[in-house]
Amino acid sequence: MACFADLNIVNVGDRKRMQTIIETAAHLGYSTVAINHVVDFQQKGQEITNPVSIAELFPSPPIVQGKSKPIKIVTRLTLIASDVSHYNQLRTAYPQTMPYDIIAVEPKTEKLFHVACMTLDIDLICIQGTAKLPFRITRPPVNGAIARGIYFELTYFPAINDYTLRRYTISNGICLMNVCKGKNIIVSSATEEFLGLRGPYDISNFGMLFGLSEGDAKAAVSTNCRAVLLHGETRKTALGVIYTARKVTATEEKDEGRPRSKKAKTENNQ
Amino acid sequence: MIRSGEEQTGAVYERRVCKNASDYQYMKVGLEFEAPGFRLNDASFKQMIVSALRGLHGEIGAALPVDVLKFEEQSLTAILRVRGSDLVKLWSALTLSAFYKDKKCAFRVIQVSPFLLALSGNSREFLLI
Repeated sequence: MACFADLNIVNVGDRKRMQTIIETAAHLGYSTVAINHVVDFQQKGQEITNPVSIAELFPSPPIVQGKSKPIKIVTRLTLIASDVSHYNQLRTAYPQTMPYDIIAVEPKTEKLFHVACMTLDIDLICIQGTAKLPFRITRPPVNGAIARGIYFELTYFPAINDYTLRRYTISNGICLMNVCKGKNIIVSSATEEFLGLRGPYDISNFGMLFGLSEGDAKAAVSTNCRAVLLHGETRKTALGVIYTARKVTATEEKDEGRPRSKKAKTENNQ
Repeated sequence: MIRSGEEQTGAVYERRVCKNASDYQYMKVGLEFEAPGFRLNDASFKQMIVSALRGLHGEIGAALPVDVLKFEEQSLTAILRVRGSDLVKLWSALTLSAFYKDKKCAFRVIQVSPFLLALSGNSREFLLI
């Protein structure tokens, strides 16, 4: 059985809070979590930067409940796209996106959704629950995305806090479900606090509210998340080739703290 | 002792297969608050469950028969009983409830089983060596 994973924990910046969230996730039984860096080019001064160093944030990751293994932490970049030029920045900023394990896109218009599904080199497409979906999800791009192995992400943290956002979350989920029939969906938290996390079995039960079947709902927190991680791995290297170098010396920890590279030169390349 | 007149058949074996024999599902839930040491009595716990059900499923949700079989005020854990067909509704309502009187909280579903006996132990907390 694939292990449970929660691929969206918002990077709140505060180290103490991040640790509490990740400890709670390990206690609830998640084997993998992804720390999410959100980049919104609509706001000024947003750039794709290097991810937080996980070894720095968490010197000794907590043990997963019932597994006796430490939790695995990966990094993820989410790009909020409301204009076509934002995609160019994602394409040209290749060295900056390189260290991220997963790259996700949140399209705001139907055209951008189509491009993200069909051509963009990403792993995830976010369907947020914070607002009503600004476009209709149609079948051709979704089928294309499923054929390319791109997954759709639904978040549940907005549904916990607010009745209105709960309505949006469930209606967006049902809209997506009508088109993709339960294939290629993952459900993740997008949480900013430890009380916003729920256990993996709770989430697979929550997926049934969208009309997912029991098996699909469980796959949405386990098998599909693993597929996303593997997709990200192949995107990071060459497609289908994974190259690893093994060092026997005791300098393994230095590998995690990547050197801070120079500022992104994304503005010139629009 | 064999009474006279009764047919002597020896030991009798009977095989019965039950499909969905149990009508109820039992849940063991814990309640977690941001700061530890919060007190709550059983009546307000039930009230909280009913309002969570009303919040997600409306009046039909609030009318579902949910029983709190056992409630421990110290650890804020409880054992609930619902009909099997209502399990998804109750569970999703508990998943999405986050407040008690403007205090943030979270329900942690520890175990779900159709048999009450199964709630006595928890295989997930076994120590794997």
